Amino acid sequence: MNHPHSPWQKLTALARQAPDERSAAAPYGFATRVVARVASQPALSPGAVFERFALRGLMIAVAFGVAAIAFNYSTLTAEPADDYASADPVAELLELS
Amino acid sequence: MDPAEAVFDVAACLERVRQNDQASARALVEHLYPMVIRIVRSHLPRRVAEEDLAQDIFLKMFTRLEQYQGAVPFPHWVSRIAVTTCIDQLRAQKRRPEFRWADLSENEAKVLDAVMTDERDPRPGDALAAHELVHKLLGQLKSDDQLVIRLLDLEQKTIAEISALTGWNQTLVKVRAFRARRKLQKLFQELQSKEHA
Repeated sequence: MNHPHSPWQKLTALARQAPDERSAAAPYGFATRVVARVASQPALSPGAVFERFALRGLMIAVAFGVAAIAFNYSTLTAEPADDYASADPVAELLELS
Repeated sequence: MDPAEAVFDVAACLERVRQNDQASARALVEHLYPMVIRIVRSHLPRRVAEEDLAQDIFLKMFTRLEQYQGAVPFPHWVSRIAVTTCIDQLRAQKRRPEFRWADLSENEAKVLDAVMTDERDPRPGDALAAHELVHKLLGQLKSDDQLVIRLLDLEQKTIAEISALTGWNQTLVKVRAFRARRKLQKLFQELQSKEHA
């Protein structure tokens, strides 16, 4: 396709000869409008900085949470130790009787 | 070089812009406008006014001015902003519907016929029709592929220059050019078969 005699190459060679008679100078007032818009843009407030980083922070926190649950899954699902039974005097009394 | 361009001291102007000198900011915009508008015009996505796109580019330039470290000449840095802004605009727009022979003007059809059949050499007067035709054909490509082909075949930039302008590595530029040319070849074949059908 990039052969000099391919239709596309012939077409682009011809297209490059098309004159562009449009002015390249900035339209009247263009620079003033741009500079005015730049000047009217508010500086980045602390709130905006917080907003920018909050979502990223939230995603990291969720990832840590999921990792913590996965890491401790076996502990969470294990049968709880029956500590109360041995510490319960009534239960002990009933067992003795 | 234009004498006005030769005397324009970009570094000094930038220094004044950084000190919030609005007159210097306006001078900088006026100095860079011809370069920016040339980039915008060669990549202008449909339905986007060139002035609006140029304005977006200059706003980005001023917003990111603190990031400019002077590693490359300032106009080069701005041209990269211009190209990436055009890429974003191209990506945001949908591709054109299927390209059909019936959609071509009489002149465009003649030019297309001339380049495909070799029966007559295109005339210099056909350049405008060829230009329109090229843009219609490029509209059938993915936005990134369009950009590569425009830079490569219309602006005759090298792979290294395209890589520097777009930030894409040279292999990616070559792959996109290859893919785009294959798609264009297929388009020509389809048009040829439809024309003779």
